[in-house]
Amino acid sequence: MTARSRMPLSPHLQNYRPQLTSVLSFTHRVTGVTLGIYAVALVVWLAAAAAGPASFSTIQTGVRSLPGQALLLGGTFCFFLHLCGGIRHLFWDAGRGFALGAVYASGWTVVAVSISLTAAAWILSFMV
Amino acid sequence: MPVIKDLVPDQTHVFSQYSMIEPWLKSRTPAPATERLQSRDERSRIDGGWECILCFCCTSGCPSHWWNTDRFLGPAVLLQAWRWLVDSRDEATGERLDELEDPFRLYRCHTILNCTRTCPKGLNPAKAIAGIKKMLLERSS
Repeated sequence: MTARSRMPLSPHLQNYRPQLTSVLSFTHRVTGVTLGIYAVALVVWLAAAAAGPASFSTIQTGVRSLPGQALLLGGTFCFFLHLCGGIRHLFWDAGRGFALGAVYASGWTVVAVSISLTAAAWILSFMV
Repeated sequence: MPVIKDLVPDQTHVFSQYSMIEPWLKSRTPAPATERLQSRDERSRIDGGWECILCFCCTSGCPSHWWNTDRFLGPAVLLQAWRWLVDSRDEATGERLDELEDPFRLYRCHTILNCTRTCPKGLNPAKAIAGIKKMLLERSS
């Protein structure tokens, strides 16, 4: 095309330092897509449970295995990160929390709260 | 932004996007003999908009503008769009909102907030864009 299209682009993804603002936006989207995949997995798990004890014990073997538990832990974290990030977005949609200090405070709060909730959910799951 | 040489980007495209929002006072009422007056409160509404010097640090740091350079207006231009929307002397608010109500021009903003973080003058394009979205919502309800 033109000379313009051959010029290097800057700033762009490759040379712009990742920061809390963009990283949380990116992870919000990735966790959203991930949760979509987990929703399918949940349906498969429910279908296996509905199909009878044999298929349920098969799928439970997978869920209880180490990779299965790791995936479940990741899924729990995705769930809470997306939930907290979603609440943060609702505040923005209402026009609140746009001061830079508030953006960083809410961002780190989202990270801390989702880690805490993930830990709490797993501790609870081992207690019951 | 296309780089011509070190620290010299080609701003042709972003300035043509700027011209798209028609950044000047539009008014149908005949010009008064003296200035168009504003109250202190009306004047204070454009604070945070008029200070922008169009350096485009925010637009060039916006991931949404990287992916949709052609169709998304980007934070700097949208901050200026907001500046004219809230100006009490401007009488083209409806037309301006019509031009912005578009999945790409305005709504490619996903509140990433790189813009607000990077502005060297401490302005808040993300808040201005949220203001435009609220104006559109209030208009349609």
